Amino acid sequence: MTSHVARLYALAASLLALFLAWVGVSAAPWQADPPAPTAAEDPAAAAALARYERRLRQDARLVQRILEKRNREQAAPPPPTVRIVTAPPVATTRTS
Amino acid sequence: MSRHAFRAMGTTVELHLDAEPADAALLAAEAEMARLERLLSRFLPTSELSRLNSGGELAAGPDLLAVVAAALDARELTAGRFDPTVHDALVAAGYDRSFELVAAGNGAPVLVGTRCGGGVAIDRAHGLIRLDPGVKLDLGGIAKGYAADRALAILAPLGPALVDAGGDVAVAGKPWPVGVETALGPLTLELSDGALATSGRDRRRWRASDGERHHLIDPATGRPAEGDLLRVTALAATTVEAEVLAKALFLAGDADRAAAEADALGIPAVLVTRDGRTVLAGGLA
Repeated sequence: MTSHVARLYALAASLLALFLAWVGVSAAPWQADPPAPTAAEDPAAAAALARYERRLRQDARLVQRILEKRNREQAAPPPPTVRIVTAPPVATTRTS
Repeated sequence: MSRHAFRAMGTTVELHLDAEPADAALLAAEAEMARLERLLSRFLPTSELSRLNSGGELAAGPDLLAVVAAALDARELTAGRFDPTVHDALVAAGYDRSFELVAAGNGAPVLVGTRCGGGVAIDRAHGLIRLDPGVKLDLGGIAKGYAADRALAILAPLGPALVDAGGDVAVAGKPWPVGVETALGPLTLELSDGALATSGRDRRRWRASDGERHHLIDPATGRPAEGDLLRVTALAATTVEAEVLAKALFLAGDADRAAAEADALGIPAVLVTRDGRTVLAGGLA
């Protein structure tokens, strides 16, 4: 009985050791992160960043114009309707 | 139906309001038109417009800013046919006082074409209007249209309303029958929401030493407009727009061209020629 319990403890300890080793290996602490080039160090990156920001500003202006046009169209009053009738007029338009 | 008539902006104004009680609203609309006349008349030396014309620059209130902006938009949209810088051309033609005094006068000097189309800039951030040197504005028709629209805006929330500002007619709230003078007799148009304005050479005309003159200046020549049209009535959503469209169609030069433009742009219009023709255009039939 005693040896059976001891074997179970030994198995659990082995599994724990295996798990910890696996985590340690997968973290690969011996590999250093490559430094990311900054825009200040890389003129090409700086130019790309400037192009990206310019494009964003252009897109923002375009969206703004579309929204303003849509607002104008939605706010515009419907064209007045008119028809010729024979009723006596309440008022008469004339050269003013 | 309540009706209220009074003098404003050099003409007789009639207000109609189908609501009770109406008195307070009618008086408020009259007060608003009087206030706008004090700001926008070129014949009142203390008006904002007169101070702008004399100084060339003014920190203007919202009404003068709005009317000048609308006039400049109209100048652009009509390719210069509507132009608020005709002030000096009007004065040169003899329209240098209120029309009652011009009509009673002894004749204007010989006409010399006056240049129009000078620069006008609006600085909205600071509420400033600046005129190029020598430029002065006349806002006569468009200011009256603006005042009619403002009066209608006061009345319309209370019920069906009509504003007749000396022939500029704005309506709201229900179908209103509005008359139009044609060569064949009166024509009645039924209009629910919108405005009619008429521009022509049949009124506001006067004798000069070299013949008859009228108040519709062609900015291209700086002189009273020529052509075969006697008057043009145009329909639009607002009186300001109707004023601009009627004047722009009148300045098309002849009835056939004006009718073609009204048809192409979908502007309901009634054109009356000097030789007695009446043309319905822009979908009117």
